[in-house]
Formats: sequence, C-alpha cells, structure tokens
Amino acid sequence: MVAAAAARPGFGARLRAEPAFAVALALLWVLLAFFILYPLAALIARVFVDQGQFTFAAIAKVLTDRNQVAAFRNSLWLGTLVGVGGTILGFVFAFAATRCRLAPAVVRAIDIAVLLPLVSPPFTTAIGYIFSFGPRGLITYDLLGIRGASVYGLTSTMTAETLTYFPIAYLTLRPMLAAIDSNIEGMALSLGASRARVFRTVTLPLCTPGLANAFLLLFAASLADFATPLILAGNQFPVLPTQAYLQITGLFDLSGGAALSLVLLVPALAVFLAQRFWVARRSYVTVTGKGAGQAPFDSVSPAARVVLVAACVAVTLFIVYLYALLVYASLVKAFGANDALTFEHYRAVFTEGLRVLFDTLVIAAFATPLGGLYGVVMGYLVTRRRFLGRTTLEIVSMIHYALPGTIVGIAYLIAFNDPPIVLTGTALILVACYVFRYGPTGIRTTMALLQQVDPSLEEASHSLGAGTGTTFRRITLPLVLPAFFAALGVMFIRSMTAISATIFLVSISWTLVTVRILENMTELRLGMAAAFSVVVVIIVFVVIGVIGQVLRRLRTPGSKPVTGLLAA
Amino acid sequence: MNAGATHAEAIGVAVTRVSKRFTHAVKGVVHAARDVSLDVAPGEFLTLLGPSGCGKTTTLRMIAGFENPDEGRIAFGSQDVTHLPVNQRGIGFVFQNYALFPHLSVFDNVAYGLAVRGQPGSEITRAVGDVLQLVGLAGYERQFPAQMSGGEQQRVALARAIVIRPRVLLFDEPLSNLDARLRVQMRDEIRALQKRLAITAIYVTHDQEEAMAVSDRIAVMNRGSIVEIGTAEALYHAPRTRFVAEFIGRANLIAARVGAVGDRHADVEALGRTLQVALHGRAPAAGTRCLLVLRPEAIDLSDREAASDALVGTVLTRTFLGEKVEYTVACAGVTLQVVRHSRGGGDAYAPGAPVAVRVVRDAGTLVNDAPEGDAP
Repeated sequence: MVAAAAARPGFGARLRAEPAFAVALALLWVLLAFFILYPLAALIARVFVDQGQFTFAAIAKVLTDRNQVAAFRNSLWLGTLVGVGGTILGFVFAFAATRCRLAPAVVRAIDIAVLLPLVSPPFTTAIGYIFSFGPRGLITYDLLGIRGASVYGLTSTMTAETLTYFPIAYLTLRPMLAAIDSNIEGMALSLGASRARVFRTVTLPLCTPGLANAFLLLFAASLADFATPLILAGNQFPVLPTQAYLQITGLFDLSGGAALSLVLLVPALAVFLAQRFWVARRSYVTVTGKGAGQAPFDSVSPAARVVLVAACVAVTLFIVYLYALLVYASLVKAFGANDALTFEHYRAVFTEGLRVLFDTLVIAAFATPLGGLYGVVMGYLVTRRRFLGRTTLEIVSMIHYALPGTIVGIAYLIAFNDPPIVLTGTALILVACYVFRYGPTGIRTTMALLQQVDPSLEEASHSLGAGTGTTFRRITLPLVLPAFFAALGVMFIRSMTAISATIFLVSISWTLVTVRILENMTELRLGMAAAFSVVVVIIVFVVIGVIGQVLRRLRTPGSKPVTGLLAA
Repeated sequence: MNAGATHAEAIGVAVTRVSKRFTHAVKGVVHAARDVSLDVAPGEFLTLLGPSGCGKTTTLRMIAGFENPDEGRIAFGSQDVTHLPVNQRGIGFVFQNYALFPHLSVFDNVAYGLAVRGQPGSEITRAVGDVLQLVGLAGYERQFPAQMSGGEQQRVALARAIVIRPRVLLFDEPLSNLDARLRVQMRDEIRALQKRLAITAIYVTHDQEEAMAVSDRIAVMNRGSIVEIGTAEALYHAPRTRFVAEFIGRANLIAARVGAVGDRHADVEALGRTLQVALHGRAPAAGTRCLLVLRPEAIDLSDREAASDALVGTVLTRTFLGEKVEYTVACAGVTLQVVRHSRGGGDAYAPGAPVAVRVVRDAGTLVNDAPEGDAP
C-alpha cells in the first residue's frame, strides 16, 4: 500500500553504518558480474564479433541452414507438445490429489513415484524407455516380437519428456487447487450448478493462471532438455540443444554452437518474460500454505473419480515400471540378450567408476553449501533490505536459472577457456556453474519464506532492545533455516544429476557421473549406465530423506510443516 | 544505556509538530501525519482514535522509532528521542498481530528483551515467572505461540512488552484480532495493568468504545491531523467539531441558527422551535448558522396527547435491542434517531404512530457546519 519514500543511502554511508552488509553486497555484485554477466557477454561477443568486426555471419549461417531451422522448429513443437501434455497430466494428478478424497497413504505413494523423475538424472526416464520400447525392449522385442523396432523420434522424446517434467506441473498446480476456498465451489453447487458445470465455470477459470504458468515451465524445461533428445530423438528429429552440442563436440565449431544456443535464447527469454510479467499478475488464488487439501463435499462424481484415479494409477505404475526396468537392467549380464543375474555392473561402478563418483561428490560437496549460503544471503538482501539496484540484482541472479543449460555451458566454455581467465579443466568451473545456476532456487525459497514472516517480528525484536545484528542472528536466521536446508537439498540433487550445462565443462581431471552415464549409453554399456543411474537415484533419495528429517526437526510445536521446498 | 531496564518513575511523552510523508504508488505523496502535537502526562493512558488511514498508526510508529518523522521532535521526559534508534528508546510495543517469535517458546519470547539487555539467567527466570503470573499465564513457559489461542498470544505479547520495564508502553490496535467478548475482557485487563504498573501508555484503535473504556484522554485523528483531544465524556457531550460529533457515538445533526447568547447558555432556532443549549468554551455570535448536535438519548418521546406544545413526529422504525429501544422519528422535516431505555410495557410506539418529541433541556451542543471545521 504505502511504501516508505525510500531514502536509499549511498554505498559510502552504508559502508560506515553497516560494514558487513556493504561488503556482502559488493562481493555479490563482483561474483554476479564475473560468473553471470561476463560469460553471457563473452558468448554474445563470440557470435557477433569476428576479428574486431561486428557481424551477423554466424547467426545468418544458422538461419540459412535447413537442418538448423528444422531443429529450431522441432524444439518449439516438442516444447509445445510437452507443455500441453504435461500440464494436462499434472492437472489430472493435482485434481485427483486434492478433490478425490484419496487415502493419505495413496497420495504419499503417488508423491514419491512422481518425485522419482524429478530427482533423477534427466535422462533416466529415457533410458528406461529404451529398455521398454527399444530394439531389444521388453515390450517391443520380448512381448510383441518386433525385430529392429525404431524407438527414436518425436513420439518417444515427447513421451519421455512429459513423464520427466509433468511433476513440475503437478507440484505447482496442487497447492493452487488446494488453496481454492472450497466454499466457492460449494456456493456454485448450492446455486444449482452441476458438478461438471462448477468445474467448467469456477474451478477451471480460477486455475487458468496456474495452468498457463505450468505450461510455460514445462515448455521451458523441454526447450532446455538436452539429455532426453540426445538419447531418444535420433537423427531424424534434431533439436537445438543437441545440435549445439554436436556442433561443438563433433565439428569443433564453437562459434556455430554459440550461435545455435543464442537462437535457443529467443524462445527461452520469451517464456521468462511471459512468466514474470504476465502470469504473475493474473493470479486469483493466493497460495498461503494453509490449504485444507480435501474438499468438504463430493465435488467429483463417482464415475469421474474412477477415471481420474485410474489415470493417475496407470501413469504412476508406468513410471515405476520404467524404473524397475532400470534396476533389472543393472542386475543382468546384458539386457535383452542374457538375463543371468550379476553384480558385475555394480562392481564396475565401484571400481573403474569410483573416480567419477568421487569427483561428482567432491563437486557436490563444494557446490551445495556455497549455493545454499548464496541463496539465503541473496534472498534475505532482496526481500528485507532497501538499496540501490535491488531489483537489478535479483533479476541478474535469476538469469542462469532461467536460461537453458546449453547456453550457460557454452557461455562458460567460451568465457573461461582462454586468457585472461582460464578455468576450464578445473573443479571450480563446475562448482561455479552449479552455484549460480541452481542457487536461485535457494533465493526463491528464502524470498517466499521471508514474505510469510511479518516484518513486525523484526520490529518487535528492535523494540525489545536488540540491534540489527542480534535481530538477524536470533530472529531472521532461525526463521529462514528451512529455506537454507531446502536450498542445500536442491543444490545437492542438481549437482548429482544435472548435465546440460556441465557436459561442456567436464575434463579429464574432473568429470561427472551423468556424463559417464551418457558415454556408457553411447558405448552401449547399458548395464553399467543403469547401475550408475540406480546408484545416483539412491544417493539422492537418501539425501532427500536426511534433509526431510532436518526440516522436521526444525519445526517448532504447533507450526505448519514446511513442504514443497525441495520441488523448487 | 537502556533506561527502560531501571524503571523508576513514569515519564511523559511530548510530540511536537511532527509530520510524515509517504510516496504512494497511485496517490503520489501522502501526508500520513501533519503537524501532530501531543502532550502525554506521566502515567497517563492516551488513545489515538480515528478511521483507517487517519495517521494514528504512523504517529505511534514514529513515537516508537520505527519511522523517522520528516519534521518535528519527540521527547520522552526531558530526553529528545527523535533520532534515537528503536532499540535504545526503552519502549514496550504490542503489535496488532502480536508478532510473537514463532521459533521461540513462551519463556524465550518473554525473556528475549531481558537476554538482549544481558541480564543474568536467574534474574531472567524470576522476572519472566513474575510477569507470566501477572498476565495469568503461569505454567505456559514451554508452550510455543502456534499452540496458543489468540487471547493467550496477546497476553504473551503484553508480558514480553512489560517485562523489560519500558519507559513508555505502546499499543497498535492490540485487540482487533480477538472476538468481541475477549476484546472487552482484555481491554479491562490492559487498563488495570497499566494503572498498576503506572506506565505511560499510548494506544491506537479505530474502535471508539474501546477508546472510551481504556483511556484517560482520547486524541481523535483525521487525515493525518489531530482534530480534538479530551476525555471521553468531554468529546461525547461537548464535541467542538462536526467530525468528532459524528465519529464518537451517534448524533443527530440539525441545521440551526444562533439566537440570544447568554453567559452559559444560548438560544438556537432549530426544528422550528427555540431551544436552549449549554455553551462549552467560546460563545458564537448571534445570527450564526451552525449545527445543533443532539445525542439520540437527548430526545424524549411521549404520547401525543400528554404535551400539547411539544414537537409532533411520526415513528418510522422501532428496533428492540434488549436494554434499549431505538427509534427513527420523522419530525419537522428531518429524521431523528432516538434511543430510550427499555422499561417493560408502555414503550412500544409502533411505526406510523404519532408521538410528541421533546429535546432534553441543555442537552445539545453547537458545532460548525463544515465537515472538519473548528468550533463555532
């Protein structure tokens, strides 16, 4: 309502008054300039500047290449299909979870199964899909007896991506559906509308902004997805991220890859802007976290309930089936050819693969606390403090989070490969990439948490005689601790599973499990790829469990549980 | 350092010509407080009363130190605190939403201010025990805020504010989140506690009944300025402005013209009759146009035959409210609000019934016609 006529003190005054604050702010700006703005500038310069001359040549080369134009079109088409399909699927799940009066145990089981694709390496579903529908797939080869089945192409890529990313839609739509005051639906029902009419005229319109948001999130996720197309798209269905990767690793054409990634930037940026300035302003439902979950009356007819629950169970079972195939493939000598049980692949993972696991864990061990700290400090500064350039700082910090990983990876490769700053081949470049790419989830959870914490708590502390430092330490910090631990969780999961950016940054000295899994897939060492995937999924689930325990411990009696933080 | 920790005698609060401007996204610059001056006596309970957006909370937050005034000075006793940070003012502040620390137990919430002051643990335990006893929450030490009812949370907030022995106790609409019955109970407790501790208190509310119940004096605010300050009775019976007449209690405002002006009384022409009103303060000039303020209980109804020279009216509505009956009566071209105590039978003037209307002698008062003008 009424905002204080912000008298924003200058940096000099701040430095004298609150040295810690001023130093933190300056440090953040330096880091953002170095690890976010500079790589992007280097990428753009690489594409548009050739031997000191401004040129459109690189971009023109992409736009006149029929193959690349097709890749661009394919990317958009794939994103649209995945966006629509995933949003519908996510809505069905969310609607069933909030309106169908399912037993809490059933909802929990669905939640865990749905979480699987979200916390696994992004190509795990694709690998499971190959095991099921590939040339030697359980269904195609063993069940249907098709020889030489072709699994590669749009349909497979779309299905695998939809299964991988629809949980995002589910997790954004579910709190929204739960937060709709069920009295509104009850009111419409009492006015004589049928259940179907209530759904069509009340529930669905209230969800429109959420549906639009879910679509954009899924579109962006599909657009940026690199691993699934690499495994499933095949050469008949090129998409931009894989094309950029092949351009660089196959043809050693860094400028061409950079130009391709910049083409990818256009739709990515459009989605980011649409989300920030359009969807965000059209929300009818305030998600306060106090949603009761279940409607107090039967808002779904028995027939519809059966259909919804059946659909959810079918999809859930399909996901479980794909992961079961993965486990099975990791335990047999050669999937589809030799079904003899063996621990050979796991032995290989913990002998020749041990170094990769170790590298990945070391990088995660550094990226996780740094990213968590970065998220909490940045989140606190942009929500609770007034200073010049606050909004700019927030937007800049979000850039790498919003961009497809391919762009970020190529930008880092270009920026840190040559003097003056050479970081390629080090662990630092991987750690930095993770911190600035996934730290923003910590920023967001911290911001969300702080927005729920009334400023009067800090004022109360001041009124009782505490200074700024004491108040931050004893009031603010304990209250954002859940966000910190959630940020740690996200950082760790992503450090273990991400690939699209870091595949450009691995080296002989430092490589990652995800990259090794992809190599195994291309070398057709499918058993080892499966074993690696299973190990990663187990590690991630253990860490999620531990962090869930910590979050439960942090709860004070009577307070609301902190949920959904890991899904950011 | 912390003067509040060694509380001895109540001190006064002087607010001198304080102003505060905000920049509003739509309305531009808004004067939240305009030239506000207040003198709160040591040990006094003063309430800032007014409609929402009148500047009462902004004024209170400037006294607390949460906002800095653009102009003017604020003093606690002889100390100028205008630029003193909140945490050095030695205040106790009770928030509308209680602002209890959700991650701390009741004990730790109440102990917070004492711990910040570096008091020894044994001292803190004793003081917290005492104050919880005082607010009726002994034994609640280990509970957490989210486990308590609104009323209990409010008591914790109160305990947390008074345990540090503040020099001044400030309340920002502390009861507005409670239900009606609890509100009445809590306001009596707050009042009793303040008298017992003899702490100077400033209280913000938009509820006039609450203000009348707790305060020694009330400052009525509107549009960033103080309109009138006085005791509840003075403001009710002798408002000097139309705004206060309308904001505190209910009033019939009747167009009037001043006739003969005496020492303590004046004649006014209103409702087609000549009525006598008592004068409070400055006497108006004969012939001035002004408004006659008649409280609903200052008008009496009787059977039409009983008093032949009385005004004649017609009952429009009758509302039975238990201890009283409210009427609206059409009389001399205006609609009058009338309140009578229930007295069993004989009080039932049905709608449409003709009645004799009589104004109680000396009960009216005069205000200027302007919506927020000065006294006539």
